[in-house]
Order: sequence, then structure tokens, then C-alpha cells
Amino acid sequence: MDRRTFLKTASLSSIAFAWGCGTDSDRKIFSRVTASDDSVTGEALWYAATCMECPAGCGIIAKNREGRVVKLEGNPRHPVNRGKLCIRGQAALQGVYDPDRLTAPLLKTNGTFKEISFTKALEILKQKAQTPSERGRDRIRMLTGLTGKPLSDMFTETLAGFGSDRAAVFEPFSYDSLKAAHQAVFKKRMLPSFHMENADFLLNFGADFLETWLSPVEYAGKFKSMHAVREGGKGLYIHAGPFMSLTAANADKFLPVRAGTEYIAAWGILHRLLDNKSYNHLPESFARDLKTAASGYTPSFVEENTGLSQSAQEMLTEKLLAARNPLVLGSASTTPDDTAFLLDTAAALINWILDENLSLYDFENRHAVENTMSTGETAQFFRKAGTDPLDLFLIYNSNPLYSIAYIDPVERLFQNDAVFKVCFSSFMDETARNSDLVFPVRLPLETWDLYESKTGISSILQPAMGKLTHAPAIGDVFLELQGEDSRFDSYRDYLLEHLYAGAGIKSQKDLLGAIQRGGVFEQDGIEAKKTEQVKPVFDKKLSAVLKKAAKACKPRESKGIRFLAVPSLRHFDGRGANKSWLSEIPDPVTSIAWESVLMVHPATLEEYGFEPGDLLEIDAGGRAIRAPVYDYPGVVQDLIVMQTGLGHTDYGRYAREFGENPLTLLKAGAGKGEFTSYLISPDRVRKTGKAGKQPGTDGSRSQHNRKIALSMKGDRAQDHAHAEKPGLDMERFPLTLPYEAGYDEKRDVYPPHEHDGYRWGMIVDLDRCVGCSACAAACYAENNLAVVGKEQIIKGREMAWLRIERYRDRNFDERLIFLPMMCQHCENAPCESVCPVYAPHHSKEGLNNQIYNRCIGTRFCAQNCPYKVRRFNWFEGEWPKPLNLQLNPDVTARTKGVMEKCSFCIQRIKQAHNRAKNENRQIRDGEISPACVQTCPTGALVFGNFLDPKSAVSRLARSSRAYQVLGYLNTKPAVIYLKKVVHDV
Amino acid sequence: MQELTFEKINTTVLDTLSRPGKRYWTVIALLFCGVVLGAACWAYQIFEGVGVAGMNTPVHWGTYLINFVFWVGIAHSGTLISAILFLMRAGWRNPIARAAETMTVFAVCIAGLFPFIHLGRVWLVFYMLPVPNQRTLWPNFQSPLIFDVVAISTYLTVSSLFWYTGLVPDFAIIRDRSVGVRKKIFRVLSLGWSGKSGQWLHYTRGYLLFAGLATPLVISVHSVVSWDFALGVTPGWHTTIFAPYFVAGAIHSGLAMVLTLCIPLRKIFGYERIITVHVLESIAKTIVFTGLIVGFAYGTEVFIAWYSQNIIEMESFRWRAFGAYAPEYWIMVICNSVIPLLFLFRKFRTKIVWLFVISVFVNIGMWFERFVIIVGSVAHDFLPNAWGHYRPTLVEGGIMLGAFCLFFFLFLLFVKHLPSVSMTEMKEHIQHTE
Repeated sequence: MDRRTFLKTASLSSIAFAWGCGTDSDRKIFSRVTASDDSVTGEALWYAATCMECPAGCGIIAKNREGRVVKLEGNPRHPVNRGKLCIRGQAALQGVYDPDRLTAPLLKTNGTFKEISFTKALEILKQKAQTPSERGRDRIRMLTGLTGKPLSDMFTETLAGFGSDRAAVFEPFSYDSLKAAHQAVFKKRMLPSFHMENADFLLNFGADFLETWLSPVEYAGKFKSMHAVREGGKGLYIHAGPFMSLTAANADKFLPVRAGTEYIAAWGILHRLLDNKSYNHLPESFARDLKTAASGYTPSFVEENTGLSQSAQEMLTEKLLAARNPLVLGSASTTPDDTAFLLDTAAALINWILDENLSLYDFENRHAVENTMSTGETAQFFRKAGTDPLDLFLIYNSNPLYSIAYIDPVERLFQNDAVFKVCFSSFMDETARNSDLVFPVRLPLETWDLYESKTGISSILQPAMGKLTHAPAIGDVFLELQGEDSRFDSYRDYLLEHLYAGAGIKSQKDLLGAIQRGGVFEQDGIEAKKTEQVKPVFDKKLSAVLKKAAKACKPRESKGIRFLAVPSLRHFDGRGANKSWLSEIPDPVTSIAWESVLMVHPATLEEYGFEPGDLLEIDAGGRAIRAPVYDYPGVVQDLIVMQTGLGHTDYGRYAREFGENPLTLLKAGAGKGEFTSYLISPDRVRKTGKAGKQPGTDGSRSQHNRKIALSMKGDRAQDHAHAEKPGLDMERFPLTLPYEAGYDEKRDVYPPHEHDGYRWGMIVDLDRCVGCSACAAACYAENNLAVVGKEQIIKGREMAWLRIERYRDRNFDERLIFLPMMCQHCENAPCESVCPVYAPHHSKEGLNNQIYNRCIGTRFCAQNCPYKVRRFNWFEGEWPKPLNLQLNPDVTARTKGVMEKCSFCIQRIKQAHNRAKNENRQIRDGEISPACVQTCPTGALVFGNFLDPKSAVSRLARSSRAYQVLGYLNTKPAVIYLKKVVHDV
Repeated sequence: MQELTFEKINTTVLDTLSRPGKRYWTVIALLFCGVVLGAACWAYQIFEGVGVAGMNTPVHWGTYLINFVFWVGIAHSGTLISAILFLMRAGWRNPIARAAETMTVFAVCIAGLFPFIHLGRVWLVFYMLPVPNQRTLWPNFQSPLIFDVVAISTYLTVSSLFWYTGLVPDFAIIRDRSVGVRKKIFRVLSLGWSGKSGQWLHYTRGYLLFAGLATPLVISVHSVVSWDFALGVTPGWHTTIFAPYFVAGAIHSGLAMVLTLCIPLRKIFGYERIITVHVLESIAKTIVFTGLIVGFAYGTEVFIAWYSQNIIEMESFRWRAFGAYAPEYWIMVICNSVIPLLFLFRKFRTKIVWLFVISVFVNIGMWFERFVIIVGSVAHDFLPNAWGHYRPTLVEGGIMLGAFCLFFFLFLLFVKHLPSVSMTEMKEHIQHTE
């Protein structure tokens, strides 16, 4: 080798060597090398904030680890949700890390979007706002989703500065009929909250209060304090409506009522109530008018038109009269049509007739969503935007081209090139796609703000993490628009002034307290004193309503098949559709993920010659959607029910092209009345000839008479009469506790495991479980579960550690029963004995640990698991950047080829151990809450130590309702279920 | 018929070892391509994850383990024929013993591949071996999969040694009649065999001993394989008849495979006078017997499910016959228990075509038996909510094709390079019959 070659080789190889030394930034374990002043590496910081996934405004606490939010939990001090969150609240976290989130403003030039800088975007915005204000008044219009008062004040001030009117506040589900009914009866367009917890009988004509209606977490909790078994029995809930939603499935009895005729049923009840009894508190003239109005709604008329039998009507009337505190609820978030107004009026009137004081209404704590425009006003707003001179149109926190595209002027406005449209959106959704400037702003978890969840509650939003993008907060953008003369440096200052001025904060200490607590609300919650007595007022308007009701007493023509769009538990109005957890977790009623199906009664299917799985095309008002059929006996005949929220044509990878948007069909009914008609008569329903397998996660809807999800009838005496002598077969096998106490030398070959102070276990109270799936979402967030997508779910490869099994009730065939199924942490675990490499391992505390590093993927454990709760990583899990930043650093992200399953959130158990050890004590009962237990809005899940006889789990395991799923296998599960109690009416 | 002489046997058998023609190499090349395809599919699966196969929750075990059990089953009758029938002095075994033993060795090798293919993380398979390690962890001897590791490796060792022992005198014959490199190779292989009576003495004793050692293995290996299932709790698996049921099934499929292999072998190599119709007929008679056992087992399973009055067991077996996998179930019943009954008629037992066709049916039926047991049980077990279906994918098809190609590839190499009929035993046989 000559000198030159040597030098060449040497230098090349040293360069090559040095090249390989580069660090891979992805491999950093901590995002911060030096922790900030208030954080300790490895320990979480919690920031109180407010969930903005629906107008309910639940309080959240965001868990920040090393600078990133990794989990959201309910704020236990918040009076709305009391520490609980729904499925959407849990998934809100994914919004921040959405891989499709825009990082820079986009300006449309010649039909294509081009990235520009934020400074440039702001300049354009300023300039576009300045010109119209010089031309005249009201040349700028703004549409916004529901915001807190400071932000809306900021909008108003800024727009006023440009000579324009305040921003229009719009929510897709605006409860128009309920507001209008309250306007008619109480003379105020309001949405009082209900003290459902104090009711003993609940009659509901459609309100989906466990899914989306007003404030689902709040009402789920209140509902279960009324409807769960306790000393002295449980309350009664009867649901009469066209469709067995999740809420209706939790009723003791579901009474099918033809869609759009619920009001007839309600007025029929009113009619009977007035016939049965005289009510002294009714003013005489009003009683007479009311009687006249209801006179047409005779039992036979009601039966004929609604399908609600006379005996059922009589039963409902009797129950209402017999109840101490009856409560009647009206329409769902999606109203059939104008008749919903009559329904809600009837509900309000019945409530008042039965309870003079309206003690179950809370007029002090009204829902924030009462401040939004009605559909009529929204249509009017867009119509005016189309006709009046307009230069600039601003949209914030709203996606009208998805949610109200059926209102003609909306599309026209977006087709009008003369108007410069700015969409303050972090996502390229339908509206952003059709705007001229897309201006990403910070998301709620990154912003300072205030939100009045209810009239008495100011809930604070604060940045729970550092910025992921350079996007400014919307408030700061508007502050910038106000120009130099503003008194404030930032929107935060503006907000603080608002807090000092109005929200009862006097000092820095108060402020700090409020921020730490999550807002300004009375410590003892929503039970505020009644200062203002709200009473029905009888005036001409109310008599006009009564006349209207009398006039509406005529047969509703119902020819052919009809179509009803209902709100989705998972996707609500579609705003969170790109959050993959929401699509991955199946709908609890249909068990179908990633798809919006047409729910049709099997008899109707037969009548029209459709098969389950057929892809149908539905035409209405010039629009068509194609969706697969799902046979569901919970729908009345001749009705197609479809959930909203999917079917985006834009937005992001997890939303686009999944399912269909039923709202596009509403054009047929739009503009005909005051309220949106979510119930329409389609022009045509036809088979496309295509059919396919649905991404369903259930194998069978029936329990096949197995001991799985059990219920018992309301009167408990009957149950005791049936108590049989214990035996060894499925039904009579005794409860075997998962520790030494469950050992029986006659049955067991192996000696019991020894436990070291603790034997962890869980109680699942089926009587409290409503199937809302919040637990499943919490589990996805806490335990780094991979999202596998539609195709893999069709193949049966979902990774959920906790699933909601939905079965037909064995005692009541037409009822559904929900059963959360997760690893049972068996004492005699079938998985443990078959693994050749000891990957499943029984811990000293009774946990069935899965040791990922040991697992070689024989999958024998999963084959041998009777509960089929083990999940195999068929592929490497994918977290497109920056979704990977959401991963919980306390939990391993599993690699392909290993088995995984519920660990009872062992990371939380370990943390509790550390705390207890530091404080030199035992772990206290209730100290550990696995993610599912923590979020359960109804408290159906209880976790604790079976070795402590005083613990909640030990106490509940002694209940006469306790049983184990398939207990006769003698696996001794540590998850003990409590039977559901159903009133047999 | 012309009398078989020692020389005749030698020439007939050694003729098969002549230089093969183009056709042979073409077939070998094609089979090799199939093997490469299978290997490529496996490589793809290792790279992407086991998800490229069709398994899911609840059916975590698919064609890989079906093929595993299938090939272990095939591997059975080799030792049955060479060991058990040897001990029972069933003379008709001699002409086919070598082919059957070879089939056994190759089938065990292929069977042994499938658990590897099946694993989620095959690169960590050594965790299953009881080797001293830093983690101070032993494998779980409670797990039937560890029983499998032990049973299969023992079986492979014993059957290979048994096979090789039988080959030694034949190697010497080849050595004596060849020249050049070939002579050198066979000199090494024949381990210095000279045919002295002392050697024969040791040889026959050793062979007898091996036969004695291999006999319990025939029973144990497939019993152990059956415990992979029977020790589970799953309905359809958790039954006590599994061990005899599996052993009978294995012999059933193994004998069928012997027929499938020997009939073309006999045709191509002109072994008509060595592998006589009588030999084939004897196999066919045994197939009738094993087919009846298997059919009895099918009936017993259903009866016990009904007799137990356990609703889960009952549903499991009702679903087998009438559920999503009903076609597979009826293929299994008809091919394994009904079609072999044709052998009761002499016409079917003695016609070569019928023998071949029916043996292929039994092979198919036995493959589906494993499908029904492995897939059909877990697809429909305890929790109705978790029920699901499984369909194999192309990748699994590729690997299965590769496995069959590998088997025939090895077998074809064997027939042209080693004596496919045991000359020694044939000579011994005619000596005894004289």
C-alpha cells in the first residue's frame, strides 16, 4: 500500500467511523435534560384545566411528565364531573399530538395551499380586517364555537374595533327545542340542569344523557346515584323512544315509540295525568286550556299513532303518580323535527304538574350551551352573510361545512370568492379546506382561558405543557388585531383582569388557588341556593303553544322507511373524529369500530330484502350516502338510525374516508321548520349490491345461557327463593375468592399461592356499569395500547386490554347488558401453567404479570385463557409522530411478537408502594386507582386489596350479587362481578 | 413370478442409484424453488410480524401448528413400521421400512420447523432450552410446550439413529460396488462394515434394542403432542381421549403417507417385485383399522360432550359439525373414517390407483382433522363475545407449500442417493421365508 492509498483509506474510514457516532434524537428518554424549577424528572406534574370536547366543560387534570402531557383525568374538585371523564374527554389528549395537526398557516393561492409564516399570516389578517372596516359597518363576520366569556368579549371588542357585530356562537347540537320549550313555559331561553340524583322515577322520551346530552359525565353520575342499587332499592328508569341508544339500553324498560311521534306519547301521558287527578296548584284557566289541548291525545289515539300500547301508557301514568320525585326528560341532542318542541314542552309541563316546586330543576346552574344560536338563527346568519356585503369571514372552533352543510347558504358562502375566509383551525378539516387562510391556533390544552361550564361555574384552562408548534393562542391573535393601543401584553393578562373583575378573585392567592383548583366554583359543588324562583308563566304565548299542541294532534303520516341521525357517544358532532382511540374503541351498542352503520330492525330488513352487512345507498335532498346495514332490534320498524360524527371528507388520516356523515342528508328537512329535522324521509334506499365484513369486535350477541353477564329482577326476595345449594356445575359453583380463603382441598390440586400483604382485585358492579367505554379509552391512554385500524379489527386484532362486552340479558331477552372484561388476574391462571418460558407470572400480590421481555410469542396463554383478554402484537405498534410523545413513560411500548394484557395498572400500584414505603405505612384502601377505575363516571369499578377484610372490594365481594364470570372453571378470578338489578315492569 | 435372489435385490436397489436424468433434476430444481418461496415467506413474516398470517384473537394458533401436528403425525408410521412391526415380525414391513423411516426423519425435521415459524419472536427461541443462563431462569416444565421440545428432539434423535443403523450394511454394499469419490464417501458412512459374523451379531442386537427403544416413543411423542391441547381448558381440547386419539390419527396419516410415497416409488424404480401388492394390501388393512379407531374417537367426543350436559362442550361440538367450519369437519369425517372403509373390499385394496387415491384422501382428511381441532375449538370457546373466525393467508400458504416442497425435495434426493429399500432386510426376509 502506498502512502496516498493509506491516507485515503485512513481518512475515509475515520469519517465513516465518526458518522456512525451521531446521536439519534428519538432515543432520548427525557425531553428535558435539566428539569424546570417546578418539576422533578420521573415525577408527574398535574395541571388543572377544562375539557373542550363538548360544551359540558368538565374539569380535567392533565398529567405532565418531563414536559409532555401523557394522560388526562377528571378533576375531582370540579362540580360538573367530579373527577370523572367520558371517552371523548380521555381522548382529548390525542388532539395535541395529532399527526395531522397543522404546524404553520396555509394561504390559498390559485386554489392550492402554501405554507406561510405566522407573522405573514397575521399581517394578511390585519390587512384583510382593516380594509373592510374602512368600507363600512358589519363587513366582517365571525362564527365561533362556544367559548368562555373573556374570549367572546375579546372577539366582540376586536370586531367592534373594525365596526362589526359580535361573533355568532354556534354549536351543531344546540338543544333548540328544549330551549324553546323553556322559553314557552318559563319565559326564558335556558337550559337548567336537572337534579336527576334526587328522582326516584325517570321517564325519558329520548334524551341521550349518558352519551352526549347536555353534560353526559355529570348525568351519568347523577343517574347512577338514583338508579344504582342501594339501601331501600333503586330508582326506576323507563325510556320511550324510537331507538335504543346506550342511554335507553340502561333503562329498566325500553318502550318503542315510532320516530317523530314521541310528542304524541308525551301529550298522551299528560292527558291521562289530567284525567286521573286534579292538581290544586294549576291555575284554573290554565288547567282548562291544558286539558283542552291534551284532550285529543286519547289513549287509543296515542296507541294507534305511536305504537305505545294503552297498558304501557297506563303503567307510565301510574308510575308517575306513584313516584315521590318523578322526572320527565324530552328529546335527544338530535331532534326529529318541530314536534320535538311539543315533546319538550310536554315534559316540562308534566314535571311541573307533578311537582309544583320543580325541585329537580336547577335554574341556577344552567348549561353553557344555552348561549348558542338556534338552527334558525344560524341559517339566518349564513343567509345574511350571503346577501349583505361581506369582505372577511372568520371561523373559530367550528366546522360548519361538516356539521351544517345541509343549510344551503353555508356552502354558498364558501363558494363566494369575494369573501376572504379565515379558519382558525389546527386541522385541515372540511371548512379549513374551503377557506382562504388556515390559521392554526393553540389547542385548549396549551392555552390560558376561562370557560363557564355552567352559569355558576368558572372553569380555568391553562397550558398543561409546552408548545408543540409555533401557533399563537386565539386570544393573542385577536389582541394583535386590536393593534398597538391595547392595554394588554397578552391574552393571559386580559384573562387575569377578567378574573379579578368578575369571577370573585381578589388577590394573587385567590388566583393561584383557583388555578390550582381548576376554576372558581363553590367547594361543595353545584347545589347553589335558589335565589330566583322560576315558575311557569301563563300568557298568550303559552296558550298559543297549547293551541299548537292541540292542532298537532293528528295522525302523523309515515309512509315507507325513514332515516334518523343520532349523536354518537364516540364522535359527538364529529369534532374529535381524527382521534384514533375514538374510532378504535367500538361503539358499545353495536360493537362496531371505525365505521358508521345503518341500524335497522331485523323485521324491516326482511321486509325490504336487505341482509346485515349489505352496503345501502340512501338518497335524500340530492345527497347520497353509502353505509353498511347492522341489524338491531332496538330500532322501531321502518326506521334507519345512523350515528353522526364520521364520514369526514377531510380532517386527517383517522377521520377521512371512515364511515359516512348522515348530516349531509338533512338537506331534505332543512329550512322547513324552526328546528333541524334529524328525522327525514329519504327519497330512495337501495342496495348497492356490495356487502362486506364490518369491523365488529363481538363474536355473538347472545350469552348462550352461560354465566357471563348476569342480572336479577328488582324484587330481591324472589332471588333468595331461587338460591340453590352450591354445586360444581356452571350455575351453582360457589364464589371462590382469589386467595387462601378460596382454597378447597376437595376441588384444588395445587396449594394456594402465598400472598405478601396484598391480593389485588377488582369489583365490577354491572348495576352501575352503563357501557360508556370511558374505561377503555383511559386504558388506551395509560397503557400505550397500539391502535391497529379498521382492517386489522376486521381480522379480529384489536389490542384493547379492557373491552365492553355487550350481550342480550339472559333474563330479559330484549334488553342489553354491558360487561367490562379485562384480565381476571386468576388465582389459578390457565395462562401461567402453559407458557414454556414463564412470561405470565403470578406475583406475590396476586397479580398475573406479563413479562414482555420473556415472551417469545407461542400464544399458548391466549389460547388457554377462557376470558380471551390477552392481546398479541401481530405487528409493531405505530405511533405516527408526534403521537409517540403521548406514550406513558411508566409503561413499556410493546414490540411485535409479544403478548400483552391488563396489568391492573401495575405502574400505579408500584407508585403507591413507593409512597407507602416512604411514609412507612401500608397502602390505604382506595389509594390505588387503575386508569379504568379512576375515570368510570358511575363508579362501577372498585379496586383494592382482598386480604384486607375492611377494604371496599372485600365488602362488596360479600354482596349477595357477587359472582365470577365462568367461575365454575375454578380459575378463581380476582375480578368479581356484581349482578345487575333490573326492575321488571 | 421370478424368484427373488440376493443378487436380484442388490441390482434392483442399486440400479436406482444410477446417475439421474434431466427430468429428475428439473423436478428437484422446481421443488427447490418451492423451498425458497417458503423460506422467503418466513423471512417476510419475521420482518413484518406474525400478523401477515391469518391468526387473530381468539384463534392464535393457525396453519403453522396444524402443519406441525400433521407432520409429527406423518412421522409416526415410519417408526411404527420399522420398530413395532419389526418386533412383531410382520414380514411385509421389510420392503417399505426404509422409505417409511426416511419419511419419518424428514417429517420430524419439517414438523420441528413449524413451531419456530409459529413463534412471535423466533430469535428468542433459546429461552425454551434448559441451558444455564444469567437470568437464572429455567423453562417452565409444567408447560406442554416444553414436553414437546423434549419429546420431539428425543424422537428425532432416536429415529435418525435407528435409520442410520439400518443403513450401515447397505452402505457397505454400495461401497463395495462403487469407485472413486463415491467409494470414499460410502467408506466413511459404512463405518468400516465388513460383514463379519461378530458385526452381524452386534448389529442385530443393536437394531433390536433400537426397535425396543423406539417403540414407546411412537406412543409417547404423539401423546405429548396431544397434551398441547388436552392440558388446556378449551372445550374441544380438554379431554382425556386425546392421547390415544392422536396416536391412532398419527398412524392413520403416516400409513397413508407411506402409501402415497411408495406407490410412485414402486412404479418409477420398478420395485414391483420387492414392494408387492401384498405389502400394499397389508398397509391398507391397517388403515382400515386406524380409520375405525379415529372414527370411534370422533363419535366418543360427541357422545361425551352430550353426556356431560355441559352447555359449553355441547355448543362446541354442535358448532363443529354445523358451524362456520362444518365443511372442514365433514371433510375430516368422510376422508378419515368413511373413505378408508372402501379398503374392506378387496378390489380397492389391490388396485394400485385406488390405493393411491384413497391414501391421498386420508392425508387431506388428517390435515383437516388438525384444522378442526386446533382452529375449530378456540374459535368458539367460552366467551361468545370473543368468538371469531380464522382463514389462512397467502403467506401461510407459501410456507405450507415450502414445507411440502422441502419434504419431497429431501425425499427425492434420498431415493437417488441412498438405497430406498433395505437390501439387508430383504435378504434376511427371503432367507427366513425359504
